[in-house]
Amino acid sequence: MKRISINPITRLEGHGTIEILLDEQGNVANTYFQVPELRGFEQFCVARRAEDMPEITSRICGVCPEAHHMAAVKALDKLFAVEPPSAAKKLRELFYMAFFVTDHTTHFYALGGPDFILGPDAPPAERNILGVVRKVGLEIGKQVMECRARNHHVIEMLGGRAIHPTAGVPGGWSKSLSEEAGAEVQAIAEKNIEFALFTLQLFDKLVLGNSAYLDLVTSEVYLHRTYSMGTVDENNRLNFYDGKIRVVDPDGHEFLKYDASEYASHIAERVEPWTYLKFPYLKKLGWKGFTDGSESGVYAATPLARLNVCDGLTTSRAQEHFERFYQTFGSRKVNGRFQPVHYRLATHWARLIELLYAAERMKELAMDPEITSPEVRNIPQRVAGEGIGCVEAPRGTLTHHYVTDENAILKRVNLVVGTTNNYAAMSMSIKRVAEKLIHGHAVIEEGLLNRVEMAFRLYDPCLSCATHSLPGSMPLIVNIRNLRGEVLKSLRRD
Amino acid sequence: MKGLMATIIIGIGNPVLTDDSVGIKVVRALAERLPAQKDTVIRELSAGGLRLMEALEGFERAIIIDAIVTEGGEAGSVYRLTPSGLMQTRNTCSTHDANFVDALELGRSLGLLLPREIGIWAIEAGDVRTFSEELTGPVRAAVPRVVEAVVRRLNESGRQAA
Repeated sequence: MKRISINPITRLEGHGTIEILLDEQGNVANTYFQVPELRGFEQFCVARRAEDMPEITSRICGVCPEAHHMAAVKALDKLFAVEPPSAAKKLRELFYMAFFVTDHTTHFYALGGPDFILGPDAPPAERNILGVVRKVGLEIGKQVMECRARNHHVIEMLGGRAIHPTAGVPGGWSKSLSEEAGAEVQAIAEKNIEFALFTLQLFDKLVLGNSAYLDLVTSEVYLHRTYSMGTVDENNRLNFYDGKIRVVDPDGHEFLKYDASEYASHIAERVEPWTYLKFPYLKKLGWKGFTDGSESGVYAATPLARLNVCDGLTTSRAQEHFERFYQTFGSRKVNGRFQPVHYRLATHWARLIELLYAAERMKELAMDPEITSPEVRNIPQRVAGEGIGCVEAPRGTLTHHYVTDENAILKRVNLVVGTTNNYAAMSMSIKRVAEKLIHGHAVIEEGLLNRVEMAFRLYDPCLSCATHSLPGSMPLIVNIRNLRGEVLKSLRRD
Repeated sequence: MKGLMATIIIGIGNPVLTDDSVGIKVVRALAERLPAQKDTVIRELSAGGLRLMEALEGFERAIIIDAIVTEGGEAGSVYRLTPSGLMQTRNTCSTHDANFVDALELGRSLGLLLPREIGIWAIEAGDVRTFSEELTGPVRAAVPRVVEAVVRRLNESGRQAA
């Protein structure tokens, strides 16, 4: 019996190790994706003022500060029992759409796209944004950078600061939008729509037009029939900023729909002795181990899961692509909704449909006459003592939960971050890859590293976020161990 | 004096993760130490990769200060690195887009105006696993050393320091 361990996260932080244990025949007995502990986040927050949380939590991750800022601000609305004016909600959502456009764009061109544009077995040194530019042309790189720059500009203009936003306050938004700035945001949103359509076309040409890639997307390796989670509006349409949390079963039947404030009644967290990160699961079904199917409480909260839970999208062009997506995978409509797609690599496509939706929604909001209203804040009058705020982060449903004393001094803090929701599903993908590529002690070395990387990339895990830290680089280290834990072979890619 | 002569000084890290914040602490101290100068810009960043490269656009020279964890390294040790050096500091890479070297190459191939001179000061961290705004002792002691070294470097190139 052997044990294989993969360290995909960072040699600098010693983060995240994958242990693969082989049985006596040299086949995979089990895999363990371990995430180490970061200490003292709750203690760090306790005894601080609740209104500092949008600032503090936006610093726990350098990648998605906007998502934490937004979840924190929504938690504070509840904590201070104050309803923001309609214009403030729209400004928050507008800001959030600019963030989604830049995050989804960067993910596709820098992480997800290279697997397809250069091929999953291209040398790792080429499977990056530079490789994409070399293969497809400088113009693509230029467009990606322009897209990032113009949306960073919107984030700064609306959020008050380029990196860590400051504009969100309990009861609203700290500054209104001028007519002139609104027109500028609208023009940027129009460019975003064009760019999203161009990116979907590129995906069409590169992936859908290539049967080898389609075979890869629909291969068993990345197929997990889990429950799906996402946020929907009052008409069951996708929404990133607000709504109810909807969970559908693997066949697409609605299983749960609840207000974010009820999350603790529906989600429990499994603790495993071999990792510090907890595994959230659906309480009603219970924890049945790392397994999919309708009996297992494992769920996913990803761009793919979000499309799976909603009845449709509110913007016209994204809706067309949404329908095409399900039709391509042969999904039929049951009770007015497409049956879920479970091919995890299709998450890349789902992310691009969300990119288009975010761009279209951004334009809608920028054109809304109310967006330039000066009524952007209601002043809190009392402390309710508890607040739960929830948004869809690019990487999944994000929940912030604060409990305070009567002076709004924090007593308890709990965060369920996007990546954590998908920890069990990621672990399952890793096991599947290992089972596929390790037989009778024979390990397909490069294949193993590449396929594990692909499993990671589709979720774009933010372990920094999940463990409340910051990311470093992401090398891969694979150690093959026997039953006694001795390393028999070590594969490494920095 | 402007445009081509400008210098950007970037402190990078998580301000609430003990020694990971050392880059931020150094640039805050530099901001107090250096008089306001039109041609020197000081910034704090939390993510590397493309974001770091984008922050460098338009500057002639860059100084980046970050935490590093090396095998067997002694907390508080200070290293001078260049982007082409093999060592990666904690935050100059991003797992979510690109490492710094690739990001720079991308920027240059797109014709962005990027600094000709990029110096990285890396400080060996002791604890990067605990949430705290305070540095550990040896790392705190390294802050004034790095501040002085950066000021000296600026003076050597004719910058005026206090």
